[in-house]
Amino acid sequence: MFKRILIANRGEIALRIIRACRELGVETACVYSTADRDAPYLRLADHTVCIGEPPAADSYINMSRIISAAEVTDSDAIHPGYGFLAENAEFAAMCADCQIAFVGPSPEAMGRLGDKISCKRLARAAKMPVFPGSEDAIEDEDEAVKVAQKIGFPVIVKAAFGGGGRGMRIAHNNMTLRTGLASARQEAEAAFGNGAVYVEKFLESARHIEVQVLADSHGAAVHLYERDCSIQRRHQKLIEEAPAPHVDPKRRDEVCKSAARLVRNAGYVGAATVEMLLDEKQNFYLLEVNTRVQVEHPVTEMITGVDIVKTQIMVAAGEPLPFKQRNISARGHAIECRINAEDPANNFAPSPGPIDRFDTPGGPGVRIDSHAVAGYRVPPNYDSMIGKLIVHGDTREIAIARTEQALKEFHIGPIKTTIPLQIELMRNGSFMHGGVDIHFLERLLKG
Amino acid sequence: MIDLKTLRSLIKLMVDNDLTELDIRDQDETCALKRAGHGAPVVMAPPAATVQHAAPATSTSETPAPAGDDSPGVESPMVGTFYTASDPDSPPFVQVGDTIGPDTVVCIIEAMKVFNEVKAGVAGVIERVLVENAEPVEFGQKLFSVRPN
Repeated sequence: MFKRILIANRGEIALRIIRACRELGVETACVYSTADRDAPYLRLADHTVCIGEPPAADSYINMSRIISAAEVTDSDAIHPGYGFLAENAEFAAMCADCQIAFVGPSPEAMGRLGDKISCKRLARAAKMPVFPGSEDAIEDEDEAVKVAQKIGFPVIVKAAFGGGGRGMRIAHNNMTLRTGLASARQEAEAAFGNGAVYVEKFLESARHIEVQVLADSHGAAVHLYERDCSIQRRHQKLIEEAPAPHVDPKRRDEVCKSAARLVRNAGYVGAATVEMLLDEKQNFYLLEVNTRVQVEHPVTEMITGVDIVKTQIMVAAGEPLPFKQRNISARGHAIECRINAEDPANNFAPSPGPIDRFDTPGGPGVRIDSHAVAGYRVPPNYDSMIGKLIVHGDTREIAIARTEQALKEFHIGPIKTTIPLQIELMRNGSFMHGGVDIHFLERLLKG
Repeated sequence: MIDLKTLRSLIKLMVDNDLTELDIRDQDETCALKRAGHGAPVVMAPPAATVQHAAPATSTSETPAPAGDDSPGVESPMVGTFYTASDPDSPPFVQVGDTIGPDTVVCIIEAMKVFNEVKAGVAGVIERVLVENAEPVEFGQKLFSVRPN
């Protein structure tokens, strides 16, 4: 086991990693930028190192400063958390060069699953359904028609080098596909300076389902079931739950098993999340693989009883997974609400600043993962998430009712948070029924 | 409300350095002091909001945290190991009492096997060397205190 781990992150995940290390008897060294000088979790670390000014480039994603921090604190491993350098293969390689363990996959395994094309190839070999689409940019209309015929309408034409909804055209037949291709190309050229487009299957209403996998360096990979993360706004998750409601048990089983197979076949060690879209016909399609621990890992921990961060550290230290697939079962239902310092009543305007009141809920099945306390000042320099409320109940109905109650007990002020919106969602009929699609929240906010 | 102890230090700072006006802004807190002739300074603008003074992050005894010490000096621009000389056989770059300019090399900080020369960035006289040779340092950590010219 490692002697000392350098935590190359901040906020709630830094605190989460500190806690896991303490349970493993591993010392902690935590980096911080000058904006996080007064962060409360720093007092819980054995060592702290100021690595720079607030901009991430000068601090949390500054590779040489982070490696130096590991060197001066004599740390034998670095935990990157999520975001920042967590999925940076160059950083993982730098750690290896400096003989510091990286709590995550090798740069090669990270590349194998992180690169969409390579990932899809491995997925097909693992008998995992892949999101159908053209492999590369579409050269001409006839090729587009051929691809659309193969994958079935409706399809979407997407700009290869851009996003934000531009250079995109949905097509329901060959005619609209041809015209859509031309106008998408034109728009992409104008917006991104590159008219390259590709064709992908379009799902009218899809759910975002992801499978948690843990793999060790001894060839074992175990899945911890799935999460439903369909409640999103601008591609940012707001509420997650496990397991996913209204999923055919046989399909769930198949897809979870193939996710574990995919991760094992890639020679991947650590925690990985296989992200998929689920259509109305209960078909799963692989989107991508996230080669890191995720924000929403607690809902999986609540239903399986597995400590994902501790296990991550154990496998990174070369230990075998302490359980087999047959030891994993899902009990009850868990829901997570991301508490963001944003004002939902004002178009989610960020609400940084001092927190005077931070009254947390409690009781059976209520968990708070947050670095914030009364007296903490939310810095304006980083993302707005100040904590997570995770609630477990024996059934989904109990979990929802318990979450609503916990949110109502959770008083944070004077900054604004997403709590009022989340209370509203717990009472929303569609949400209570379960199985809403990824556009549900945005439709609700518009209407 | 700015506390009395801090206010007294600011007033002493003004008097010691013969300043007529002092305007300090620290996030939400502001304080403006003006000396009328040689009489007692008059507080002009009241401070805005109270800033929560949380305890500075503690580290090990070897690496004191940069707790916002505003006195003149040289701060570390990086994370690494501090060396007073270019090699063990050479004399230190600077000693207490030396006069330095902004471009004077005052020490070396080694990070990832690269030795970086650190320039003073201020002009004055070295008052104290605050770090031991071969000690690890963090970003912003005070290395030398300097008495400005």
